[in-house]
Amino acid sequence: MSAAGLPLIEMLKTRMHWHQARQKVLAENVANADTPAFKPNDVAAPSFGPGGRPVGGSLAVMRTNAAHLTAQTGRPGFDERAASRFEVRPSGNAVNLEEEMLKVAQNQSDYQLAASLYQKSMQMLRTAIGRR
Amino acid sequence: MDFLKTISVAAAGLKAQSGRMRVIAENIANANSTAATPGGDPYRRKIPTFVNSFDRELQAHVVKLGRVRADEGAFRTRFDPNHPAADEKGEVNLPNVNSLVEQMDMREAQRSYEANLNLVTATRRMISRTIEILRA
Repeated sequence: MSAAGLPLIEMLKTRMHWHQARQKVLAENVANADTPAFKPNDVAAPSFGPGGRPVGGSLAVMRTNAAHLTAQTGRPGFDERAASRFEVRPSGNAVNLEEEMLKVAQNQSDYQLAASLYQKSMQMLRTAIGRR
Repeated sequence: MDFLKTISVAAAGLKAQSGRMRVIAENIANANSTAATPGGDPYRRKIPTFVNSFDRELQAHVVKLGRVRADEGAFRTRFDPNHPAADEKGEVNLPNVNSLVEQMDMREAQRSYEANLNLVTATRRMISRTIEILRA
């Protein structure tokens, strides 16, 4: 069994990928904070399968011909959806900058938590094989 | 890597906001630019527009500065018969720039710019945290 297949490691990996995908979506929201008729998006929290891999979410479109254009909508396994909105400005823009910045800060600290946990579990494995 | 795409999206936001700032600066600088000929039109206020476009390379919705449009609102007038741009009634057309509106626009642009900048900082911190995993 390799370290990459451990459910804990796999779960943390999924979590970190999710934070990455979410950071990108949040960046889109912030960049479009003044674009008329723009509605903010968010990524749904991943649900874990038995091996720690994500289940559900958006499916990638299969390319059966080399001439097909790639229509990748987000990372497979993560469900990009419309975020909750409680204020819509007269221009039709529904981005709340404060809320988005809060999400960015939260996303960042959660990512750092996941990264620390990943590092700690790797250290644990290293201790188990008797190397420091 | 998604993080680099995140930074590119935020950079597009920075660029759009600084373009908006440039248009606002033009408006404020020309707040008193009158015509040189009698009865002529003075400076007309410019309005920046933002468009949301899907970047195929980044696979993300980035923001771009759209066409800069002219404000079709009415000009202010002032009675000043000795002014070179005064018409036969002695009135001078002044630009339709309202410095209060421009100030508010400037604050908004500044706030959005800072938000994008914070996003770049947050993302950079996340990248460096990822690299730190290797160092342990």
